[in-house]
Amino acid sequence: MSSRFRSSALALALVAALCGCDREERQTRGKPLGETVPASASPDTVFPGTGKLPPLDPRAAAYEGNAAAISEGQRLYNWMNCSGCHFHGGGGMGVALMDGKWRYGGRIDQIAASIVEGRPNGMPAWRGKLTEQQVWQLAAYVRTLSGQVRKDAVSARADELSNTPPQTQTKREPLSPSDSDQQ
Amino acid sequence: MRRGGAILPFFVTGCSGVQTMMGGEGAEGANFIQLFTVFMIVCTVMYLIVAIALIAAVWRRRNAALTLDNRRHHESSNAVRPALIGWTALIAVGLIGLTIASFFTDRSNAANGSNPQLSLTVTANQWWWDVEYSSPDASKTVRTANEIHLPVGIPVEIKLKSNDVIHSFWIPNLAGKQDLIPGRETDAQLLPRKTGLYRGQCAEFCGVQHAQMALDITVESKADFQRWYAAQLQPAPPPANPLQRAGYNYFTTRECGSCHNISGTPATGQVAPDLTHFASRRSIAAGALPMNTGNLYGWVADPQSQKPGNRMPTVGLKADDLHALVAYLETLK
Amino acid sequence: MRRSIIVVASIAAMLAVALLFWALTQKRESDLGTSQFGGMSSSKAAPARAASPRDDGNWTMPGKDYASTRFSALSQVTPRNVGKLQVAFTFSTGTTEGFEAPPLVVDNTMYVIAPWPNNVFALDLTKPGAPAKWVYEPKPAAAAKGVACCGPVNRGAFYSDGRLYMNLLDNHTVAIDAATGKELWRTKLGDIQQGQTMTMAPLVAEGKVLVGNSGGEMGVRGWLTALDAATGRIAWRAYSTGPDKDALIGTNYRAPYPQDQGKDLGVKSWGPEQWKIGGGPVWGWISYDPELKLIYYGTGNPGPWNAEQRPGDNKWTAGIFARDIATGQARWFYQSTPHDLFDHDDINESILVDWPAPNGQRIPALIRPSRNGYFYVHDRRTGRILAVDPYGYINAYKGVDLKTGRLIPAPEKEPKEGRAVRNICPGPPGAKDWNPSAFSPVTGLIYIPHLNICMDMGVKNANYIPGTPFVGADVKMYAGPGGNRGVFTAWDPVARRKVFEIKEDLPLWSPALATGGGLVFYGTMDGWFKAIDARSGKLLWQFRTGSGIIGQPISYRGPDGRQYIAVPSGIGGWAGSIVSADLDPRDPTAALGFVNAVKDLKKRTTKGGMVYVFALPQ
Repeated sequence: MSSRFRSSALALALVAALCGCDREERQTRGKPLGETVPASASPDTVFPGTGKLPPLDPRAAAYEGNAAAISEGQRLYNWMNCSGCHFHGGGGMGVALMDGKWRYGGRIDQIAASIVEGRPNGMPAWRGKLTEQQVWQLAAYVRTLSGQVRKDAVSARADELSNTPPQTQTKREPLSPSDSDQQ
Repeated sequence: MRRGGAILPFFVTGCSGVQTMMGGEGAEGANFIQLFTVFMIVCTVMYLIVAIALIAAVWRRRNAALTLDNRRHHESSNAVRPALIGWTALIAVGLIGLTIASFFTDRSNAANGSNPQLSLTVTANQWWWDVEYSSPDASKTVRTANEIHLPVGIPVEIKLKSNDVIHSFWIPNLAGKQDLIPGRETDAQLLPRKTGLYRGQCAEFCGVQHAQMALDITVESKADFQRWYAAQLQPAPPPANPLQRAGYNYFTTRECGSCHNISGTPATGQVAPDLTHFASRRSIAAGALPMNTGNLYGWVADPQSQKPGNRMPTVGLKADDLHALVAYLETLK
Repeated sequence: MRRSIIVVASIAAMLAVALLFWALTQKRESDLGTSQFGGMSSSKAAPARAASPRDDGNWTMPGKDYASTRFSALSQVTPRNVGKLQVAFTFSTGTTEGFEAPPLVVDNTMYVIAPWPNNVFALDLTKPGAPAKWVYEPKPAAAAKGVACCGPVNRGAFYSDGRLYMNLLDNHTVAIDAATGKELWRTKLGDIQQGQTMTMAPLVAEGKVLVGNSGGEMGVRGWLTALDAATGRIAWRAYSTGPDKDALIGTNYRAPYPQDQGKDLGVKSWGPEQWKIGGGPVWGWISYDPELKLIYYGTGNPGPWNAEQRPGDNKWTAGIFARDIATGQARWFYQSTPHDLFDHDDINESILVDWPAPNGQRIPALIRPSRNGYFYVHDRRTGRILAVDPYGYINAYKGVDLKTGRLIPAPEKEPKEGRAVRNICPGPPGAKDWNPSAFSPVTGLIYIPHLNICMDMGVKNANYIPGTPFVGADVKMYAGPGGNRGVFTAWDPVARRKVFEIKEDLPLWSPALATGGGLVFYGTMDGWFKAIDARSGKLLWQFRTGSGIIGQPISYRGPDGRQYIAVPSGIGGWAGSIVSADLDPRDPTAALGFVNAVKDLKKRTTKGGMVYVFALPQ
């Protein structure tokens, strides 16, 4: 009896310990002040002298592949009328976001920069109209439109008339080597 | 008797209060209380009969030594049969009575709701209520959030919709619950009978802030209601001093206008509560905080601390902007 | 023997009766909501005389004349010799956006108007190869492309009095000296920051330049503005929403039906403040009657597409105005689609004709194939409907009540928030979108290049942020009954029925041209430029141009006296944006749902921007 008791106690302790693990870190409140998005981190920019692209912004780790951030980004994508120009990745007034073609860079920090600064040919600049946290959440969601993110973090449910296959089945679009997705 | 006495305080304490099922301030609520009382009485009587019978049976079992071929046992079985028949008859009568009572309650509710003179649409969001008053003249519709004003004695029809998940609309003082289901339109009828201030709340788990999704209900005289409605139709007043103007500028050019609407200003966001007459409401953030200057500062500065996970982001305002914004918001009466 | 005869005879009799019943109960297209008359009328409609002067061999305005007939009286090319039609010369604009504007030809100079960046080229037709005399480069803002819903297109310029008048995408109207290409004046009329653009072709008459804005999907407030042709200063502006003083509705206004008569309906038929972002842009065609001195034009859709957000009839959107050209005061208005549910703008062309009524009287009328699928004939003095019939497949509406003039929607097709309503016909581009039809006085028929497209639609709460879309709808379009996405119809406006119909696989987004030689020209989205017989519809000649055709074909007399036919070739616009903007066909809702209807377009055509000019060999 004592060995059975011991083994079941051990099993219980193991389960309790595992419950302390979080799948991911979720922030409801982004860092309060002073965040800025790096400017001009486009892969098509020439950096005279070093020829080296700036490293991935450290905040990317908090947002890329983070299920809560992607879910908030999905909501904001409809709320802020991103879907009015880009629809559900196919494009319209705006470019398609679900193919692997990026004019201004497809890395999450480059997408965040495009949202904040706006881009020539019509992408509006959202600096001051969205908080930095909301911009990163949107960028995290945009990354999922071309299937760049692990499937257990994306939303399995669309918030609107279901026309595209669920994101859990979206194939990963191959990015061109010049897009600095590879670190 | 002791058990019966335990029920009485239940009735007494439940009668008063801003959020109570026993208030009976609405016709539907009053009907429910009547029906509840009938059920309580019938079920209590049945319960007492059963309890007494059970006690008697246990008592007799202790006293009598019963064997299988004991004569007295067979004799007592002669009394069991009519008792059983009587008991079944009593149950049948009781159930029929309860059914009839329920039927008449439903009929009364239907009659009250058959001719609504005021129509509202309540759309539930995570975690706030979007309230829109309809009007045959389309330009006289009123949009507000997290509060409902009703004229006393006027039957009201409320159309219920949801933008995301299932919520439930519940004003305990006035009526029962009704779900708001995305993709469907359900409805509720209310007929408030007493003026007063009440509190409603979401009654279906809808996410992390389900607990802080309340509604401020004001039932007032018809004249007061018309006055409130006319005030709601007015656009927001322009800012009167430089501090308010700075707040107005921030609100309309920065993050706030992307989500919130203030009629008469360039802030035209449709996805967050309408703030045109925000300062006239009793609470902030769907009942999360009472409306006063201190809470307004706290809410605008950091909504995530008061209601973590809700859809309003913590902007990280500078102190001057915070003062200006709160000064402007307080003018929105 | 006798019994079998009786049996056979009675069976034959029953079959005959059954056949009779079947024939009598066949629903004809014109049965819906209208009374039966006509069908054997021998008289034809004729273009309004003052609005359609004698053809001088030029093409000075997109509609050919103020009546918008798009008819060239030149008759050198006929059904017998059109098979020999060949390319005379070509011209490349250097831009590859949707090419919609017709080239204008005035006294041996051809003016080519390109989409963004809105360059204008003047080609000298007297020299071989038509070299450019001058190029006008207005340099409109590139960011305007981000707020142009359906491609950065331009629908044309207008030649008048030695000048060309046109609109730039970023809300400027310009006047150019036609001889030198110098800009004479430029007036700013709107703001891309509010989501406004301008794509329509102006109409110039009586010293006024009439222009309208675009942006019904961006929460823009629509208007029609008259500028002084000499100076470019604003003479008057008539808004499509708002109080009567903004909509220029005064004492002269008499609506043909009670639904459109009342005080400040442009405010009362909206929720509070909604008319300010209500839409009704004037991005389509204007016609002018020089006798009545009235201009006729239609207003666009109300915003947002989600109709649950804007209770009321939403005046003055999705209807047609008649206005006095000098003052802009409204004479009448008819709302074709009150409280529009499906983006059924009403900016389609109004062709001014004299219409023979059944009692023999000739009524000054305007005829128009409307976006909601009905072909209307209105008395153009009062706006009263003389005839209305569906010219395409419709299940979204039950008909038009002729007593009240009101369109009757089908309640089961009304889009609801959070739900999908399926198989709504016609879809958002309607039975016909902006691409105008042509009217031939020779045959009396109107030649309509149009669509057979249905949709699934779901609506949701739309957020209004100026400069971003204000739509609130997810749409998926596909071919309607029959499987063909386009259809070319020849419609008899007097007999009120189809005379012939050509089914096209791809949607038809190009305008039509009718000629005096008895031919009708139109282009397909995969680049085929076709000539058909005006009476029978038989395909007589076709030529594959380099890119899809969505532009207006024209015909003119060249310096050598020959008849030339020119067509712009360059896919784009709403229907062609999958190619011109390189959209992804895997998202059916892209481009407001159009991508699903033309998923195969990328395989069938590529971008282009070239004018092709054809003539018979010398």
